[in-house]
Amino acid sequence: MGSLKPVGPESNEAHGSGFLATRADFLINWGRKHSLWPMPLGLSCCGIELMGLLGPKFDLARFGAEAARFTPRQCDLLIVAGTLTWKMAQAARTIYDQMPDPKWVIAMGVCSSSGGMYDSYSVVQGIDSIMPVDLYVPGCPPRPDAVIDAVLKLQKKIEREAPLRRLVGTDSPADARAEAGTGKLVFQPNRGLPKGAADKHAHDPKSRLPFADPLPRKTGVKP
Amino acid sequence: MSDAAANPALAASTSRIAAALGALPHGMPQSPDGPVIEVELANLHAALRALREHAGFELCTFVTCIDHYPTTPRFALHHQLLSLAHNDRVRVRCVLPGESAPTCTDLWPGANYMERECFDMFGVRFEGHPDLRRLLMPDGYDHHPLRKEFPHQGIEPDRLYRQWDRARRASWAEESR
Ligand code: SF4
Repeated sequence: MGSLKPVGPESNEAHGSGFLATRADFLINWGRKHSLWPMPLGLSCCGIELMGLLGPKFDLARFGAEAARFTPRQCDLLIVAGTLTWKMAQAARTIYDQMPDPKWVIAMGVCSSSGGMYDSYSVVQGIDSIMPVDLYVPGCPPRPDAVIDAVLKLQKKIEREAPLRRLVGTDSPADARAEAGTGKLVFQPNRGLPKGAADKHAHDPKSRLPFADPLPRKTGVKP
Repeated sequence: MSDAAANPALAASTSRIAAALGALPHGMPQSPDGPVIEVELANLHAALRALREHAGFELCTFVTCIDHYPTTPRFALHHQLLSLAHNDRVRVRCVLPGESAPTCTDLWPGANYMERECFDMFGVRFEGHPDLRRLLMPDGYDHHPLRKEFPHQGIEPDRLYRQWDRARRASWAEESR
């Protein structure tokens, strides 16, 4: 990958005057991976664990990622910690869109990874249906150690990126985005429903969904 | 269920409610958990006003709806009222012929959010409500989740997806310019 050790002739002169030869990609990635600024999106119980992670005991500062900012415009790591409801999904997507490139996303906990135990109409079944995710952390909630592990894995991931191609403009923006580790996002709305079932308007009585009554129900009971 | 001898408190509140409603047509079915009143939709607002002004029910503790699918009419609206002075409750039940009902926010301003939730979950339109928007589901969602025909797995808000998709494409177009 590269190194930050001084290279060249073993003369004290070159060393002493601060010269360094390395790959630009490596240098940029080295800077990026050790200065991740997390945007803490603590939505429910996982948010408490995230506070523990940022606090003195687990101390994410040891890995260069303690500068949590509460504005997405200063952040490059979005940690979604908690249950993302559809109502909140709009805000979460806005936060993601407002973060400057390059940006990475960690889905912390099973709720944000897959909906978790909330197999429900009001909960987003995995935040990857509204934004690209780099790392999923299992657990309900995951221990802060697990999230630290995720941050370390993210640093490994950042090491493999090639930011220079983006900077010198040899890439299309889409390639650059794929290169930045976030990939493409394919929306899959209503994948559990028959095609067209959700297009009908609910206020129109003729358009009600075909309803299979799972339980035998007494009909003709006057409400 | 309980007669006057067995439950004097219930008998007292029942007679107070009956006096407040006066000539207003209403039914009073037997119920194990306190007095219940049944009114027609046309008399609903007048009954609520009478209960507030003449029977001392100064709090509306909830407004909700029950979906009796597949019977028609399917929706029954329930107002639960509380009197702090008399320490009793009454439930006002009204079967909706359609999907709209008069608001009671002019009587109890606190009913605002409960009616919004009821609209969100069941699609009951409250006429005269000051701000009838969805409460729990995102704006632009097309369905009402607590209706019985709503699928158990839920329906994802695909209109939101389309909106985000458009915004994303616009920002990409800007970037590549
Ligand atoms: S994964 Fe568990 S701890 Fe985390 S938000 Fe969901 S329910 Fe709460």
